[in-house]
Order: sequence, then C-alpha cells, then structure tokens
Amino acid sequence: MAPVTPTSSETELILVEEKSSARIWVLNRPKQLNALNFPMVSRLLDLFLETEKDLSVKLIVLKGIGRAFCAGGDVANVVRDISQGNWRLGAHFFRTEFTLNYLIATYSKPQVSILNGIVMGGGAGVSIHGRFRVATENSVFAMPETALGLFPDIGASYFLSKLPGFLGEYVGLTGARLDGAEMLATGLATHFVPAQRISSLEEALYKANSSDLGIISSIISEFSQVPTLKEKSFYHRLTIINKSFSRRTVEDIISTLEREAAGSNDDWILSTIQSLKKASPTSLKISLRSIREGRLQGVGKCLVREYRMVCHVMRGEMSKDFFEGCRAILLDKDRNPKWQPSKLELVSDKMVDRYFSKVDEDDWEDLELPPRSNLPHHAIAKL
Amino acid sequence: MASSSPSSSCSSMEKINFRTKVLSRHLNHDPTGDKPFLQCSPCLSYTPPELSEPNSFFDVKLMRKLMDGHNIEDRDWLYNLIVQSKLFNPQEKGGKIFVLPDYNQSMEQQREMTMKRIEYLLDNGVFQGWLTRKGPEAELRKFAFLDVVGIFDHSLAIKIGVHFFLWGGAIQFFGTKRHHDKWLKDTEDYVVKGCFSMTELGHGSNVRGIETITTYDSNTREFIINTPCESAQKYWIGGAANHATHTIVFSQLNINGRNQGVHAFIAQIRDANGNICPNIRIADCGHKIGLNGVDNGRLWFDNVRIPRENLLNSVADVSPDGQYLSAIKDPDQRFAAFLAPLTSGRVTIAVSAIYQSKIGLAIAIRYSLTRRAFSVTPSGPEVLLLDYPSHQRRLLPLLAKTYAMSFGANYLKTLYVKRAPALIKTIHIVSSGFKAALTWHNMRTLQECREACGGQGMKTENRVGHLKGEYDVQSTFEGDNNVLMQQVSKALLAEYVAAKKRNKPFEGLGLEHMNKPSPVIPSQLTSTVMRSIDFEHDMLCLRERDLLNRFASEISQRQAQGESKEHAFVMSYQLAEDLGRAFSDRAIFQTFVDAETTVTDATLKSILGLLRSMYALVTLEEDSAFLRYGYLSVDNAAAVRKEVAKLCRELRPHALSLVSSFGIPDAFLSPIAFNWLETNSWSSAQR
Repeated sequence: MAPVTPTSSETELILVEEKSSARIWVLNRPKQLNALNFPMVSRLLDLFLETEKDLSVKLIVLKGIGRAFCAGGDVANVVRDISQGNWRLGAHFFRTEFTLNYLIATYSKPQVSILNGIVMGGGAGVSIHGRFRVATENSVFAMPETALGLFPDIGASYFLSKLPGFLGEYVGLTGARLDGAEMLATGLATHFVPAQRISSLEEALYKANSSDLGIISSIISEFSQVPTLKEKSFYHRLTIINKSFSRRTVEDIISTLEREAAGSNDDWILSTIQSLKKASPTSLKISLRSIREGRLQGVGKCLVREYRMVCHVMRGEMSKDFFEGCRAILLDKDRNPKWQPSKLELVSDKMVDRYFSKVDEDDWEDLELPPRSNLPHHAIAKL
Repeated sequence: MASSSPSSSCSSMEKINFRTKVLSRHLNHDPTGDKPFLQCSPCLSYTPPELSEPNSFFDVKLMRKLMDGHNIEDRDWLYNLIVQSKLFNPQEKGGKIFVLPDYNQSMEQQREMTMKRIEYLLDNGVFQGWLTRKGPEAELRKFAFLDVVGIFDHSLAIKIGVHFFLWGGAIQFFGTKRHHDKWLKDTEDYVVKGCFSMTELGHGSNVRGIETITTYDSNTREFIINTPCESAQKYWIGGAANHATHTIVFSQLNINGRNQGVHAFIAQIRDANGNICPNIRIADCGHKIGLNGVDNGRLWFDNVRIPRENLLNSVADVSPDGQYLSAIKDPDQRFAAFLAPLTSGRVTIAVSAIYQSKIGLAIAIRYSLTRRAFSVTPSGPEVLLLDYPSHQRRLLPLLAKTYAMSFGANYLKTLYVKRAPALIKTIHIVSSGFKAALTWHNMRTLQECREACGGQGMKTENRVGHLKGEYDVQSTFEGDNNVLMQQVSKALLAEYVAAKKRNKPFEGLGLEHMNKPSPVIPSQLTSTVMRSIDFEHDMLCLRERDLLNRFASEISQRQAQGESKEHAFVMSYQLAEDLGRAFSDRAIFQTFVDAETTVTDATLKSILGLLRSMYALVTLEEDSAFLRYGYLSVDNAAAVRKEVAKLCRELRPHALSLVSSFGIPDAFLSPIAFNWLETNSWSSAQR
C-alpha cells in the first residue's frame, strides 16, 4: 500500500524472463514496494492465462525487485477512483485481482514465490495460493487490512483459516507481522532459504527443467535451512492465541485477552489488545466472520464472498472506514483514523450480515470465477 | 440400475477390448497424459460435482438458513472449533481433511476421547449458559450446538445430552430453588458429572412400573433408596459406568407403608476422585452396536441413604417428620405433571435424526453424482448413478421427506422453547409422533444411502453404514416408537371423544379440518391438481379423519361388547398404528406448507413446491391405507405413481444444491463424497 505516484510504462511493471522451461516474472515497482496497481494485476492475469496453455513452460517463479516482494494492492489508487464517484472502477480492480488469486490457487503448473522482503495484502494473494513459498530472513508478512478499514481479502479468508489452531484469526485481526521463521512455522511459507542462497536456488531450479512437485521441493530443500524462532515470537503463545481467538465474537476475544492480561504485565497480550483496539470495529467484525466462514469453504467460495464484502466496503453504506483508514494511514499519514461506528458494540449483527449479502444494484453481479478443469479438490467446498 | 450380468447390447469382444483399454491405462498411467483420452474413460477420472452439475438455480445460502432455522453463526463457530482441534481426529483423505472419531479404538478409549472432547468444548465456552441462562434464545443456541456436536459424533451428543438435558433438566424441572442454587452452576462447569437413572432391566417405556423403592427415615431425616431385586437394577445409565459422580434416581416412594408413586431423587455415586460410593454397585453394560463412546452402566442401590433435601420436590415433598405433601392428589396427574418437562429428550432425538439423514443423503447423493456404472450404449461412457431413474427414485423422495421433516423438526424446537402450560399436551403429542416418524425415517434413509453407496458404504470412514448402528437406538430410547405412536392415537381419540361429547369443534393439533365436511377428491387427477397444496392437504386430512373415525368406532364397539378400555386399545393396534402415522404425516406436511409460505424468494419457493409435492405424493404412494380404505382409486394411485417419477426427473438437476443447502461442512461428510479416486489411490495407501 504505497503512495500514489505516476507509474512508468505498463509493460515494465512486470519483468518477464525465460530460463529454459521456467518463466520468471518480476514485480518491478520498487518505489511503491511493488504495490499491485490495475495494470500489474491485469498483466499478471494475462501472463498466467497465456502460460497455462504453453506446454513448454514447466515452472513459474515470481519475485519482486527491491526490499519488497509486494506490499499489497494499490488501494490508495482505488480509493481515489471511488472518491471521484465511481466505486465500480474499484470493483473492477478487485474483480480482476480476485480472479488472478483464483487462477493461482488452481494453477496447473508449479509456482515458486521468492518472498525475500515485504509480503502484505495483495502480495500474499499472488504468492500464498501458489504451490511453493520461499521465505528468507528478510521476509515480513502481514495482513494489515483491519487497520485500514478493510478486511483480509485476496482469498485470505481461505488460507488464514487453514493455519494451525486459531492463528488465522490472530494474524487476520491484529495485522501481526511475521518474520520468515514464523511464516515457515505457520505454514504460510513452505521453505526457508537464506537470502544469499536465493540466486543459486533459482539457478538450480532452472537447470532442473522439471514440473515434478517432488523434484522441485527437494531442490528447494537442498538450499533450505531450519530457522530459529525468536524468543519473543507469538508462536510460543499458541495456547493463549487458541484460547482467545477461538471465541465466538470479537468482544469475547478481547475480553478473554483482557482477563489473561489482568494481573500480569505481559507485553505481548497488551500490544495484541492494543492493535485490536486501534483497528476499525466494523473491519474486525466482518473479518472475523469472513475467516470463520472461510474455514468451511473452498478458495473459490471465499473469493466470491470477499468480493461481495469488498463491494459493500467500497459503497460505504454501512461504514466509510475504508476511506478514513486510507486517509489516516496512506494519504494524510496522521495515523489517527476516526472510525465510524466507533465501537464494537455499535456494529450490530444485522450490519455485519449486510456485508455478506448480494449488492442490491441492478447490474451488479457476484464474482464469477473461470471454470477450471484441474480444480484441486481442497479448493472446493459445497457450503 | 441394470443387472450386473453382461448386457446383451454389448458383445463380449467389446467388453474384452474395453477391459484391455482400461488395464493398459492403469499400467501406463501418466497424469499429464492426453486429456481427451482420459475424458472418454470416465471410470478413470474424478470430476467434482460442482463442475459437472449445473449452477444452483436457487440461493443455497438462503436455503441453508431456512433449513438450519436458527443460530447459523453459532453453528459455524462450533464447526470451526471442532475442525481446528486434534482431539476430533482430523484425517487427510484425498487432499481434504475429515473429522471423525476413531471407531476402531477400544470401547474404553472411545469413552475417554468423548470425555476429552467435552473438556475441550467446556474450555472454549460452548456450554456457557446452558443451564444458567433462560429463555427461548438461550435454548435455541443450546439446541444449535447440540445439532453440530451430533453431526460430529452421536456418542458426544448423547454424553452431553445426558448431562445437561436429563440430569440438568431433571434438576431444573423437578427441583426447586434449593436444587437450582446448589447444582445448576456446578453442572454447567462439570464440577459434578450427572447421569439419569430411570430405566431398569425390567421396566423401560413403562416408567410407572419400576421397582426401585425409597422409604423415609424421620429419625435421621434421610431417604433410603433400595434395589429390591435383579430386575430393579438401573440399566443403560449413560455416564454411570465410568464418569458420573451423581445421578437422578427414579423410584417408587413409600411413605408410612403407602406407595405414592414414582419420584426423583439425587444420589451421589462417586466421589471427586472417581471412587464408587459405599452401598452403590456399578457394572458395565458392555460393548454395543453403536454409541461405544458412551459409558452405559448398571446400578444397584443397597439401602443408600440420602438427605431429605435430595428429593426433587417441584410436585410433591416429604416433611421432616415424614408426612407426604402434594398439591396434586391424583397420582396419575402427578405422574403426568412430573414427566411433562422431559419432552426435551424427544425433541433433540427427532432433530438429530433428521441431521443424520442429511449426512447420509449428502454423502450418497454426492457419490451418485460422481460414480458411474454400466453403459447404455455399446462401449459408450458409463452412466452416472443419479442419472438412472431408479436411483433417483431411491434417493430423491427420501431427500424430499428429509426436507419436510426438517421443517417438522424446526417447528418442534420452537414449540418446545415457547412451552407454556397450555401447550404441554400439544408438545407431548407432537414430540411423540415426530420422534417416532423422524427416527424411523432416518433408519430407512441411512439404509438406502448405504446401499446406494454400494461397497463404499461399508467403510466406517464413509459414515453412512456406521451411522445405522449408531442411530438404531433412537427408535427405542426416550420411549419406544411403537408405544409413542399408540400414545398419539390415544390422545387423538381423547380429543375426539371430548369434541363429540361436548358437541364442540376440534381445536388445536391441526385437527380443525375435522370440523369441516369430508374433502372431495377429484376422480381424475391431473399433474396440476396433484401438485396443489389443497389436494395434498385434503388427501392427508381425509386419511387422518377417516382413521380417527374408524378407530373411535372400533374402540367404542369393543367397549360396548364389554371389553375394558385398555383391552380395546391393545386389540385395535392396527388402526392405532395407521392413525399415528397419518397424524404425523399430516402435521409434518403442515409445517412444510407453513415454512413455504414464509419464503418470499421466487426460486426458493418453486423448488420448495417440488419438494413439498414429492413429500405428499410419495406418502400417498407408500402407505397402503390410501388404497385399503379407498381414499385413492386404483387409477388415481397409478397417476400418483407416475407423478412421483416425474418429480424425480424434475428434482434431479437440483440434487447437488439441495444437499449443499444442508449446510454440513465438507469435513463432516466423508471421502466418498469427494475425490474417492485419489482417496483410494496407491500413493494414498503408502502414506
């Protein structure tokens, strides 16, 4: 999520390389931490679609230039579009982005994402759904949407809800930052490779010239290392995370944390409570519901639901927190958003329900995902 | 489906060629191999029904809301809690996670796992307010959670049900403030673990005949409970064999040599460390055909002394000096007032039976949308099971009935949570009839689903077959189904006699149709007529009305010939059975129509219309009473049969969405409901 500046010509936003049977796609918008704008999203979508048909391609490698893999979707841009009176432009952006996420989640060729830097929001959407996610000591992962008045989208309600225990709720609601070791521990990353070995890893992958998942996995494993978790890592706090973030409502989660905090001066609990209290109340409630529904659904259903939600967020009927959040964090940068409704108890179940309903406008339609012949069954759920 | 012998349309040479092709494909299996070749050999590929079936014609989410009826989010929260814990034995099969108890564990291990799961749910606040919060909202939440737990495992639901609904319910309903204050909170927190000792070896449904006997000692102000003979041992007491610390004891109360009938007492049977208390003997009921995660035990009381305060005294009490006190003088009425609140058991059983049918149908129908058998053209592709009209006829009417009874179950729940003195009779009759109808329907559905899954239905991991053993007991506990149905008929007769005697119209129980003239059924049935609510309603009312008239006249005839009323009932069992079924079918139909009329969404309404007609017409087709008593002419019976087949065809495209609308998460179904090819692949077997 980066400030809006004029971009260089579209084709250069994604660098395309060919090495034997591999395709290397590089996100190239380093000043904006490779934040995905509409041209990038639609270019990636085209690339994925074209390449799937190309029988000579066996492997996709996705990485970013600079200190970020990708810091998210370019929501500031979206907000500008909407404030100019057309939320449909924003809807078009999300529609394209979510379709890309779905394509990646159901892709027939293996994708290796090199997450050597920041991975947030939309960045997670183009990597975590893929087969292999390589973290390094430079990785920083977060889903910071609740602080922006949004919610974890890009199919996050699918992969967050599949994390062990109730970590998904923790990561999704608090926007907690994960380092490479934590990404590996939670399963967000499949491998951890020290940054200095990344280029040799890439060479080895190109040389292997294979699409066999076992072969690719063993090659990455050769370069892998078992990182050590920091002493202060949240991963040592799984018991309390499960105890609190398993609760039925956001209010219950916070009160459970507060009960745990009472009498102890546990910094981690206090800062967790802090980040929940700083986030948009509406965002927290719809995010929790979304992750909870996600646990029982396939990735397609998750994206369809998130698309409904994001359309409601953009229309701002129940709350305009998204605009306020972007103003406070991305534009004015005063970091002091004034949420409306301002408290959790003011966000009723009825209001939350609305975010999950169809948008009541004549030509609005649910997200229609492309039919996929090789739909992995884990991606499907009937609910 | 076609027979398994080689069909004549397919020459043996073609068959051999086909087998060779299949075999060579198996041997040279290349996952990246040419797709078109794979596509023309459907037996080698799995296509999720989500891809092969048409998009849902109606809003599945909306339908799910209608089906589950209440507390949707609470349900999803609990599903989440279960799939997220290792205690619920998550297993990966064919790339998906399924949660299911390990039924291959020993009985003792299964019992311990049940207890551990309860502790996990307790720690996560699932039981908060189950006994300490009052009102319909709290009760519906409790019911929703019990539904979800039962979808995971029957033992878990029963163990929780015994503790909260039977032990806790007895204290709530039979006890007074002193009992509530002392026990309810501790029960909710599992500080005490309760069980419920009603059934004896010699007496089950006939509670009034139990032989356990309690006397009062005014010197020590204690009751003395005794098991006087072997047939008086308490039997099937869930929780008694291993875990329970306390029990409700049902016993005859003998005060000053006079028997005051059945009363309920609280007795401790184990101390906090699990040691059995003095003068209590406990033995195990042993391994069972289902519910092995529940520790059913047998209890003997050897003159066990309990404080006077342990009599649950909402209806009757004994004063410290040993006087029997009750506001209700008639022991019959006392007994009825006493047991009335215990209908919660029948409500939860009926509801859970329907959820099991949903599981069975979701699995069998999903399987039938991916499994093929036999080609109808030589060397043509094999046909999807559910594309055979015969397979549709086996499953889709049961699906429609499950929908209908699901509405019936929801109605029963709301009736129960709104209970008031004026509703007690209705609740008793409806819960009796529905409990019998729904649990019988469930067993029949599970059997059909098991067969529809073929050999795969035999595997425990696929649930349907196993559920038969688990749920068979439902037709017995909380009242034998046959006995319950007889009670329904008896109650209807009482209504009949009362209305005739006082020359007053029928009121309540949906019997108002008795006040109108007998409905006239058209001599020639068209499709439009048969699918109208009016016709369907008329048919079901006609049968109920006529059977009630016949039943009443047979009883009065027998009585006129000098038989006792009781004997007359016993001898008129055939009509009583028919009448009980007629009442339940008609009442269920009514709940369907009521639900249908609340729906505003047009697509939902039209699909519900199909299901409702299917329910009604298949009921007409199945009960021979319609022909026996001439409610349907032979021609009309044939027309009904034709219409059922037509409805099967019309429902077929909606089969997937209709089972998706049950809202049961994938993890609670089974591997054959999904990619059974991968589940059973060699590489999966190596893991």
